[in-house]
Amino acid sequence: MDFELTDDQLELQRIARDVLDREAPASLARDIAEGSGSADELWATLTSLDWPALCLPEPVGGLGHGWVELAVLLEEMGRHVAPGPFAATVAQFVPAVRHAGTLDQQERFLAPVAAAGATGALAVDEGAGTWDLAQIRASATRDGDSFVLSGIKCFVVDGASAEEIAVVVRVDGGLRVVVVPGEAVAARELNPIDATTRHATIDLEGVRVGHDRLLVGSDSDDVVVRAVQEATVGVAASTLGACQRILDLNLDHARERQQFGVPIGSFQAVKHKLVDMYCLVERTRALVYFAALAFDSDDDRRAIATSMAKAGAGECQQRCVQDGLQLFGGIGYTWEHELQLFLRRAKVGELHFGSSSSHRRRIARCAMSAP
Amino acid sequence: MRLGYDEKTEAFRDQFVAWLEANLPDPLLTAERPTSSAGVPEWARQFQRQMFDDGWLSPAYPSKLGGRSADLFEQMVYLEELGRRHVTRSFNPQGLGIVSASIVSFGNDEQIERWAVPIMRAEKTAALGMSEPGAGSDLAALATRAVLDGDHFVVNGQKVWTSGAHDADVLLVFVRTDPEAPKHKGISALIVETDTPGLDRRPFPDLGGPDHVDFNEVFFDDVLVPSTNLVGDLNDGWRICNGALAHERAMLWVMWSQSLDNMLDDALAELNGTSHADDDVVLDRLGRSIMDSHAIRLLGHRQLAKQQRGLVPAEQSILKLMGSEAQQDLAALILETLGAAALDQAVDSTLRFPYENDRGAVSWSDRYLFTFAGTISGGTSEIQRNIVAERVLGLPRG
Repeated sequence: MDFELTDDQLELQRIARDVLDREAPASLARDIAEGSGSADELWATLTSLDWPALCLPEPVGGLGHGWVELAVLLEEMGRHVAPGPFAATVAQFVPAVRHAGTLDQQERFLAPVAAAGATGALAVDEGAGTWDLAQIRASATRDGDSFVLSGIKCFVVDGASAEEIAVVVRVDGGLRVVVVPGEAVAARELNPIDATTRHATIDLEGVRVGHDRLLVGSDSDDVVVRAVQEATVGVAASTLGACQRILDLNLDHARERQQFGVPIGSFQAVKHKLVDMYCLVERTRALVYFAALAFDSDDDRRAIATSMAKAGAGECQQRCVQDGLQLFGGIGYTWEHELQLFLRRAKVGELHFGSSSSHRRRIARCAMSAP
Repeated sequence: MRLGYDEKTEAFRDQFVAWLEANLPDPLLTAERPTSSAGVPEWARQFQRQMFDDGWLSPAYPSKLGGRSADLFEQMVYLEELGRRHVTRSFNPQGLGIVSASIVSFGNDEQIERWAVPIMRAEKTAALGMSEPGAGSDLAALATRAVLDGDHFVVNGQKVWTSGAHDADVLLVFVRTDPEAPKHKGISALIVETDTPGLDRRPFPDLGGPDHVDFNEVFFDDVLVPSTNLVGDLNDGWRICNGALAHERAMLWVMWSQSLDNMLDDALAELNGTSHADDDVVLDRLGRSIMDSHAIRLLGHRQLAKQQRGLVPAEQSILKLMGSEAQQDLAALILETLGAAALDQAVDSTLRFPYENDRGAVSWSDRYLFTFAGTISGGTSEIQRNIVAERVLGLPRG
């Protein structure tokens, strides 16, 4: 086992950090939160730099990198609280089409992503907030040359803006993915605490799509499970990045802020909290990259690795948000300070794609049933 | 980044597995347990000697020191195979891991020949004299005094928590040789044979019970130690002390990782098939412990990969902290889950017994109490947090 980024991966990380330092300052997230900004320019820039194509397979025009590279990018996006369609498109929509679609369908729906930054989303949850596939009730019913959909989908990241939405539905009882044009559904955008992670409720009732929009690369539920696993780890990677930034901001603050004539970072009560945050950030990073490696290696520990990454990120944000805000004192409790942007991004990471607690129970059940 | 090892490393593993299969002692002959961390039964001494002679005791060392110049990944698969079989390579862990390793790193050839090799070959066992009644977390405050008088040091003072001293043949003792110098700069390291006149060892039982005797108070009353027993330079003992604690630190995490995995296996076996296995609250907390066990192993592997690239990894500072606290959390979970049944419900670890450094079956209550050995010894969790804050995170000293 060689559990450290390669030189090429470290270089990718450095470049991604440089690009986002320049193109996605925290002020961009603030402008969006205040209603005066847009992520469009950033997305155009990232597209011109081939970010959407980076981890897509070569046959659809991608550069063929794997999940570890994708995790590197997502972590940096979180670390910069970068807005825009990258995460939902590349870590949610793309895995669904890749795993569930035929080669022709992959070409049809993914080539525009690779070539021009077409955007996508993935619709799974139906209101329970668990992303539990057993609870999927939305359906697609064949009617002549088309399918008619029914049901609603909730917490769909970029659900009101994506050009195409991969929707998990039941067809004859089995789990399938239908790719629905964003403009075909009625979407109601919610007002989440993090303005850089927009999500929506979408109404599928009576929506009619061509039969060739049902992904038929496999008739197994497993491909849907796999796609949702990848999306889940994507959220964990972004959360990890936000937590890393909260820790970094706190470390700077603890070194610089003076009270009683000394930096507050010299007090043990402060130090120990920061060390606990650091340990959780490192623990989460290990679990996130383990899951990424498990995807790249088609390792059969994917399910438990996914839940560990997600629960790890959730536990990490709990500590980082709580102690990170507390240690900042009054200045952290202002709209003006950038800390709040990262706190919000980190919190979203707990609530999308299943809570820490639900994933921990899955982990334990997984281990109990193992031989 | 990848999950597996390369072919060279796997070939090394195969070689070691073949050796283990040919040389592991017959379980029927391994019933005798250690009496302390330096009280090693004869069968275990023979096995350790066989490992040394065949170059499998300390694979990183050259062949004359019981190794085969293995690289870090090779050392890792070596430890994986030992862990998988619950094989303890030395029942005198401080002797092998710290005392002999310190002599190899800082001593001269004669000292290596006279003490390090016999300790590695389990002809002698060793204990480590560091802590004192007034020097625990603040180890550099140690006050045991050694005065050079001709070709001898005269040693006076007291050590405490000296594990296994009553069963050991030699002690590596840290003493104050220059009381005028700043506290880190007046310390030296001496090898003291335990049969030297004036040396008095008084073993006392630990939390485990009246017959769970490993700790010692060691009193020095005008003990004459030949000056040739000085390891390293005079007043350079703090470097050795840090080196001693750092010895095998590169691989020490494997011990934390494997003992957590073992406890987790026992916990799963304890809960499986009971109503607790369907209790969401139990599952939630158990999930966290499973994550801990994976994360500690993964962080250890990341440390290893960085070292293999010639970097100085920060991971080693947090693995002891995380490992010891994770064990405590897991033991507390099982204790609380089993309720009153945990008071005398023994952990059945007989499957692991043949080759493991284990005193026998203990209840989950005892097991929980024993986890405090991890969060207190070798630097308390609070001291570890201070170290990480200052050395890794760059926060100012308090």
